[in-house]
Amino acid sequence: MSITHRAPILWLTLRQFRAGRAILLVALFAATPVLFAAIFRWSSATGDATEFLSNFFLEILAPTILPLATLILATNALGNEIADRTLVYIVLKPVARGRLIVEKFIASTLVTVLAFTFGLVATWAVATGGSGSGRLLGALLAGTLAGVAAYGALFLLISLLVPRALLVGIIYVLIWESALARFIPGIKMLSVRHFAQSVFVRILDNPAIRLDRALQLSSATIVLVVLVVAALALATLRLRQMNLP
Amino acid sequence: MVEVQQQAEEQRPAAGYVPPDGPRTIEVTEVSKWYGDVVAVSNVSFAIGPGVTGLLGPNGAGKSTILKMLAGLLAPSMGTVRVLGEPVRANPRLYRRIGLVPEQEVVYPFLTGREFVRLNAILQRLPDPDAATAEAIARVEMTAAADRPVGGYSKGMRQRIKVAAALVHQPDVLILDEPLTGTDPLQRLQLIKLIRALGAEGRTVIVSSHILHEVERLADQILVLVNGKLAAAGDYRAIRDKIDEHARRVRVRADDPRTLAAALIRLPALESVRVDGDAVLIETGDVRDLYRAVPKVARELGIRLYEVAALDDSLASVFAYVTAR
Repeated sequence: MSITHRAPILWLTLRQFRAGRAILLVALFAATPVLFAAIFRWSSATGDATEFLSNFFLEILAPTILPLATLILATNALGNEIADRTLVYIVLKPVARGRLIVEKFIASTLVTVLAFTFGLVATWAVATGGSGSGRLLGALLAGTLAGVAAYGALFLLISLLVPRALLVGIIYVLIWESALARFIPGIKMLSVRHFAQSVFVRILDNPAIRLDRALQLSSATIVLVVLVVAALALATLRLRQMNLP
Repeated sequence: MVEVQQQAEEQRPAAGYVPPDGPRTIEVTEVSKWYGDVVAVSNVSFAIGPGVTGLLGPNGAGKSTILKMLAGLLAPSMGTVRVLGEPVRANPRLYRRIGLVPEQEVVYPFLTGREFVRLNAILQRLPDPDAATAEAIARVEMTAAADRPVGGYSKGMRQRIKVAAALVHQPDVLILDEPLTGTDPLQRLQLIKLIRALGAEGRTVIVSSHILHEVERLADQILVLVNGKLAAAGDYRAIRDKIDEHARRVRVRADDPRTLAAALIRLPALESVRVDGDAVLIETGDVRDLYRAVPKVARELGIRLYEVAALDDSLASVFAYVTAR
């Protein structure tokens, strides 16, 4: 049975992404780390690639690049259909609202994670000259998956709550995740970046790479799963009650 | 007690329409919808059964709002909407038996017509979506263009592919919001034939339009909506007769308006005739008789006609007649 039959909303959403330009922007974000890695190699041939990649993940990727890239497709997945009123074609069907939300979430997460997988493998190869540890690459990919999933669920929910979800998302990323969570300890514990960073440092398990108040891997994973499930449940509830004028 | 209830029913401000007998597939009871201070629909009640029912009203009358409430897309601010005996809001199971052709033209432009209809068939969990898709596309006569992207379709083609998507699961209730918009005369004829056939099959079809003659060809039963209120409901011909009871104004432009006016004044239902430049302004109680007589009289007298125009045949005028009756 094809994907069209198994997951028609997922199939439709992937076709929507393919037809739009948003996916190019995500690819651009995913390629950005490669540029940083190339500059690192060119400027410091003998530098510690693990330290560079770790700092890059903790300071730039997790708090800024990942949420901005995730924001694009997560708000696109349902937001565009609400804006152009094509949502009516999928909501007037005997399909559980929860399933609709989950397939939309999977589509945006899948594409963003795939783009970053290519980007991060290339970044790791460039930064380490292809001889870096697999653990480092695994930590980068796991931290990315955690971040994309959590940010994706959150932004999908936002797209159902406010009309200008992209703008609201950018403000949230730049003020909450990138600025306040960096400097205010209480907010740090309430930011997605901290959980994604915790996943990264725990999998990397390198004494030289430390994160203030890092959670255990299991705790960070549980928090992220709860966050994703709660955001998707709220999105489902919102979709059930929404008026579609 | 029964009499008191009947009196109370009669005194209710909103007009209501209930078919005299037979099943009621759609029941709208004292429904209102408002957005802030703006009232879109005000205390509307009606029930309809199988067959085609026209929902007629000028732009902004609240037709789309009512249809969206029937489809469960909007929650009424007050009142209840039941389709096939069930509440339609938050009841996705019911969508197995309902089809909607929405007002907006936008359809996923990156899908082909066939992919779009097939997606609907799959979401309806039909056992053989490919066969159902082919059948629905054939029914709207779009087979030749089915494998082209919807983005390249004309307005009329998009309307027809939307109808195919709404029909693919053979719903008992079909809600069509201005389905003839953008169609050319041939496409319109095909769609009207199809809509009538769907009604004849025993499905409940409700079709909105702001064009009087369109509805006349589509539906025998009509609901007339004006400013969010049900102004009239029932058999189309009875409502049309009510409209015809009022004097209508017609302007006839001709090369010899005075001779034409003198000849027309003998018509029995004529109420007034006035010459204004090259035009004759006529008020008549039988507009059909006038339309028959004018070319005949002009031909007999050798008068050339430039224009015969109804001055108050707009929908707004017609609704004014209906509401003032």
